[in-house]
Amino acid sequence: MTDKSEPRLHGTYAEFDSVEKLLAACRRVRDAGYLKTDAYTPFPVHGIDKALGIKSTVLPWIALVCGLTGTTIGVSMQIWMNAIDYPYIISGKPMISMPAFIPVSFELTVLLAAFGAFFGMLALNKLPRFSNPVFTDPRFDRATDDRFFLMVEATDAKYDMAGVKRLFGDFESLHINDIYDDTSSATIPKPFFVILGVLALLATVPPLVVARMRVTNSDSPRFHVFYEMDFSPAKDSQVTSTLFADGRSMRPDVPGTVALGQFDEAIDFYTGIDMDKLSQLDSPRATRLVRALLDGPVANDGDEPAVDNTVDEPQVDEADSQVDTAVPQVDAADPQVDATEPLVDAKDATPEVAAAEAPAAEMKDEPEEASAAPEAAQLPDTTPSLPATPAGVAPVTSPAVVVDTTPWLTQNPLTITSAVLERGQERFDIYCAVCHGNDGRGNGLVNRRAQKLLSSSWVQPSSMHQDTLYSDLYADGKLFNTITNGVRKMSGYSSQITTRDRWAIVAYVRALQASQNATLEDLPADKRNEIKKLQAEVMKRLAEQAEAERKKAEAAAAKKS
Amino acid sequence: MTDHALKTKPVDHPSFQLPASLAALALPLALGGVVLLIVGILVGLSVGPSARFTMLAYLTAFIYCLTISLGCLFFVMIQHLCRAGWSVVVRRVAELMMIAIPALGIMYLPVLATLWGDDGTVYKWDIPTFDTDTGVSSDSWGEKKQYLNAPWFMVRSIVYLAIWSGLALYYFKLSQRQDETGEITLSERMQARSGPAVILFSLCTTFAAFDWVMSLSPMWFSTMFGVYIFAGSVLAAHCTIAALTYLLQSKGALRDEVTVEHYHDLGKYMNGFTLFWAYISFSQFMLIWYANIPEETEWIYARMTGVWGNLGLALIFLHWMFPFLGMMSRHVRRNPTLVFCWAIYLLMMHFIDIYWIIMPEAESSMGGAIGIVTSLLLTAGMIGLYFGGVLWFARSNNLKMLAVRDPRLPESLAFENI
Repeated sequence: MTDKSEPRLHGTYAEFDSVEKLLAACRRVRDAGYLKTDAYTPFPVHGIDKALGIKSTVLPWIALVCGLTGTTIGVSMQIWMNAIDYPYIISGKPMISMPAFIPVSFELTVLLAAFGAFFGMLALNKLPRFSNPVFTDPRFDRATDDRFFLMVEATDAKYDMAGVKRLFGDFESLHINDIYDDTSSATIPKPFFVILGVLALLATVPPLVVARMRVTNSDSPRFHVFYEMDFSPAKDSQVTSTLFADGRSMRPDVPGTVALGQFDEAIDFYTGIDMDKLSQLDSPRATRLVRALLDGPVANDGDEPAVDNTVDEPQVDEADSQVDTAVPQVDAADPQVDATEPLVDAKDATPEVAAAEAPAAEMKDEPEEASAAPEAAQLPDTTPSLPATPAGVAPVTSPAVVVDTTPWLTQNPLTITSAVLERGQERFDIYCAVCHGNDGRGNGLVNRRAQKLLSSSWVQPSSMHQDTLYSDLYADGKLFNTITNGVRKMSGYSSQITTRDRWAIVAYVRALQASQNATLEDLPADKRNEIKKLQAEVMKRLAEQAEAERKKAEAAAAKKS
Repeated sequence: MTDHALKTKPVDHPSFQLPASLAALALPLALGGVVLLIVGILVGLSVGPSARFTMLAYLTAFIYCLTISLGCLFFVMIQHLCRAGWSVVVRRVAELMMIAIPALGIMYLPVLATLWGDDGTVYKWDIPTFDTDTGVSSDSWGEKKQYLNAPWFMVRSIVYLAIWSGLALYYFKLSQRQDETGEITLSERMQARSGPAVILFSLCTTFAAFDWVMSLSPMWFSTMFGVYIFAGSVLAAHCTIAALTYLLQSKGALRDEVTVEHYHDLGKYMNGFTLFWAYISFSQFMLIWYANIPEETEWIYARMTGVWGNLGLALIFLHWMFPFLGMMSRHVRRNPTLVFCWAIYLLMMHFIDIYWIIMPEAESSMGGAIGIVTSLLLTAGMIGLYFGGVLWFARSNNLKMLAVRDPRLPESLAFENI
């Protein structure tokens, strides 16, 4: 209760009616050694900092630090978003393009610097404050009008009321007085809380309305806050549009044109076949291949197949190229079929497929499969390569009679580096591993799902580790062609995987195959030592285990006896 | 408003006159400048890369000095427009430089004269077969030719120089008259006219930049270009004012009048306009870079590749980052010597900026050693002639270095930064 009766002294002030008198007084107060002082003026007075001995503020540094923080945030945020987390090419600019990043970084710099300056200023002034003790004196109201005040605060080390008043007495002041802390009630008036309560109550209404809307149905149509976001004028895929007469929203590639960067490599690169040899062996086919490559899927009058099986272009629906279904290995294959796996392709060699393939009378160089309808520009496998299921029927491969005379490229045209293999692995894991499994054994997720569903029309994907798929029987170029154009139930991936990447996948598949057949000699020397060490460790542990077992057996025997 | 004891000096106090040492420099500077100019032209024409290169180097030097004068003219008009009090003590220095514009107009004549030849020594659009030579479509060239043709170009050049000279002379004359009479109405009149004057100035400067500098690439355009040249010139003007004031003070003039507060303000402007220049320059660059439209990128591309690209990259750090961070501290700005050093530095960077704007039109390299020598000779010559001329003009007309009877002078003398 003593606080109420004896309010704390805040300080002593002097009131002036001109700037010069105030400044003179300030200087005297400063020279007298008082530090906790302040001047209250209606307008900023030039030179008052110096007169009062006010130390320079730290606010510029706050603003600088905040500004630099803004720059850092701006630049790193954009680099993270555009180059690391979701690398995104915009208009062919580099992923980290500083000119494009500068506007955002600049704005963040300015924004955070402004926040730093503004909130820093408030903080350094210890604001917001509900009240200042100086307002207890009504004379102080003129501080914003036409009077100038100089205050020495009681918390100053040298403060002494009499001493300060004596010093003030020397000045030409209008008035000198003491300021005590405000003892008026600091309780917040009740109506304030009432209003706050009402507002809080009202504020719960919108969320409740939204919550209700989420769990009820309504007959009224939706309203769209951003109409163009909900109904964007951009054309969707796989949907007819009115943009062009044929219902497409894009034009196909112009026939007879070559896109920039499209045929930078030799043509063998794109077909996987030694085209020189092919043109000697089977020149019409070579011509057709080249034509298909160049003309693309559009050049299709119906007579020539709209097949570009050997091109890096999106396969158009109308192309009857996806005819991997009917590999007519029916005859030779039947007796080798795993009874547990219905070979659906046999069924699929239906007339419709045959009809579709009739105009696509492309490569047909398998005399053994003469009965089957020729495929469209697709080369059937040499032997019926059945998936070698781990637990099951021993794959009965026919004697290695290679009937396929296509001069496949036997060597990967890419220079195999670890970067290429890593790329191949990455692409394999994305596109191939879903069916063929990460280890290439043919038991990918899709296969497992199909088994679980007991899917009747499912054919297990091939395992990469059958010797019919090794490079002596299945050349690199043929593997490339399989990836490009598909085989049996597998569709071609030329529209999803670039040519270079397909070759990388070929290289990786070879690496996968090698990995299951490797010997210790295949490893580099240092790895060999590692393996030998591991081997030794395992042997040691096995020996220890055997030792322990033996001892236990002895102990048990001893106990029995 | 002031508590300072105003040192009442008579208006003809020697500290308001041009110091004798500087006055003595006038003629040697001017003559030396002329000599260097002639030598530079001879070197350029004889052993230099080409006549075009020489004339473009001359144009660079000319634009450099012109931008200083234009910036000073803008400075004077803006101080009047804002009824500024702080700048009165340094305004006369700016007025001395702005009055050089008529004389600078004469220095532009050699460039105008090249239009006589029809061979596009400086301005390629002057070649009659420009469209067929460069493959520009004759429709668009027909449109351009309505603007970029020699007679209309010369008329426009004269108009720009006339308007600038008119503005400069008006403000100079009234300021000189105020030295005699101290009439407040003169200040009021200058202030009243400054609004339209600034508008007129802006239009002239923008179109002069388009004509004299941007038309070096006739098919290229950038609406920011006028602002770009303007930004550099305002920066250069503030630097020159600070530097000249420092020189005057070092020789004994204006020692009591120009205080550290004025250097502080000039420093603030130098820092601010460094950032402004960088902002404008980057705005122009980024929009062109981002859109990547071939018809717009040719200019930037020439200045982004090879030796010009390195120079452009250096400009980012040397013309913006380094001086901006260096002049940020108020302690730097309140040190007149440091302000002087930064002013000289920024003036050098301004030259490199103008060089980077104009010279890539001549060569994809810098013209080799001879080319650089030619450029430097011509620039040094032009600067020598410019400052020599300014000093000579001040000396021969006995001009005061301070607006002694300006009604806002007391405010300026008592100026204190917060």
